[in-house]
Amino acid sequence: MHRSLAVVIPVLVMTMTTAPASQAAETVWSGLVIAENVSQPQPAPSELTRIEGLLKRFFGYNQFQVIGQSQKILKTGQEDWLATSKFFGLHVDARGETQGGYVLNLKLYKEKELLLETETKLSKRSPLVIKGPQVGGGQLLLVLVVQ
Amino acid sequence: MKAFEEKWTAWLDDQLSGRELSEFEASLPDKAAAQAEKADAKKLSELLKRELTAYPLKNEEFFSHQLREKIVQESGEEARERARRSPTSSWWTIPRLLWAGTASLAVFLICTVLVVRQERPAEESQYLTQILNARVDPVVSPNATVSIFEVKQDHATVLWTEGLQSLPADYAAK
Repeated sequence: MHRSLAVVIPVLVMTMTTAPASQAAETVWSGLVIAENVSQPQPAPSELTRIEGLLKRFFGYNQFQVIGQSQKILKTGQEDWLATSKFFGLHVDARGETQGGYVLNLKLYKEKELLLETETKLSKRSPLVIKGPQVGGGQLLLVLVVQ
Repeated sequence: MKAFEEKWTAWLDDQLSGRELSEFEASLPDKAAAQAEKADAKKLSELLKRELTAYPLKNEEFFSHQLREKIVQESGEEARERARRSPTSSWWTIPRLLWAGTASLAVFLICTVLVVRQERPAEESQYLTQILNARVDPVVSPNATVSIFEVKQDHATVLWTEGLQSLPADYAAK
């Protein structure tokens, strides 16, 4: 009986402690993407492979180029960071972890000018795409993915 | 000096002897009747001695059964009393406590798993990224509008802005 107890108790303890351990630090990729229609499109960067189909169908462009990006490991869920290109800046301010994601405050700047602000609950399994301003013949897109 | 009745009783029991016996028998008015009465008394005495012996116990098995039950009952009461007085003799032994704790923990885990599974449908609604609010600077883009699309097919959310100020191609620079 003592032997079986010695097996059962550690198994239960491990089962109980496994769930919190799975909530490890996660990486959020945020990118500034220029979507264009070109005759010979370049392959999409690896960060966008997962949503390339969605981008093509939804926005109607065939090429997606990253002009600025940032990868941030969220440990506390309270971090903030900046993804920038030459003229644009995306400021991301994490405001806590929720069940299955993070609450983020996003601000898109054109140089020092605030174009757009939004607050979102970014799911770990659901990317966010924001349609930005028209840039030349293409479109600025903001993409956030929990990797 | 003994009364007549005492002497009579002693004479019937052959307790008189010698001079006392001869004097008493001489004082009897009818010695033959007295001897007959003495003989009857002896017969009666023998009859009583024979008939009034201890009555043998015929239901000895029933009696011993009752006796055993009484002994067992008293032994049980004593054992219970000892158990009540002794703090160490309890049903809650250490192994039993451990098992009870483990079983409670297992029941708790099972309940937790069931509750979590039942909450899964609610989680599905939070599966997609949610836009809590969105605002476009009205000074820079006074006619801009914002729409939200949840693309369940791709498990993605799109924040669609319309009417933002268009920018020249130079702004696409890295």
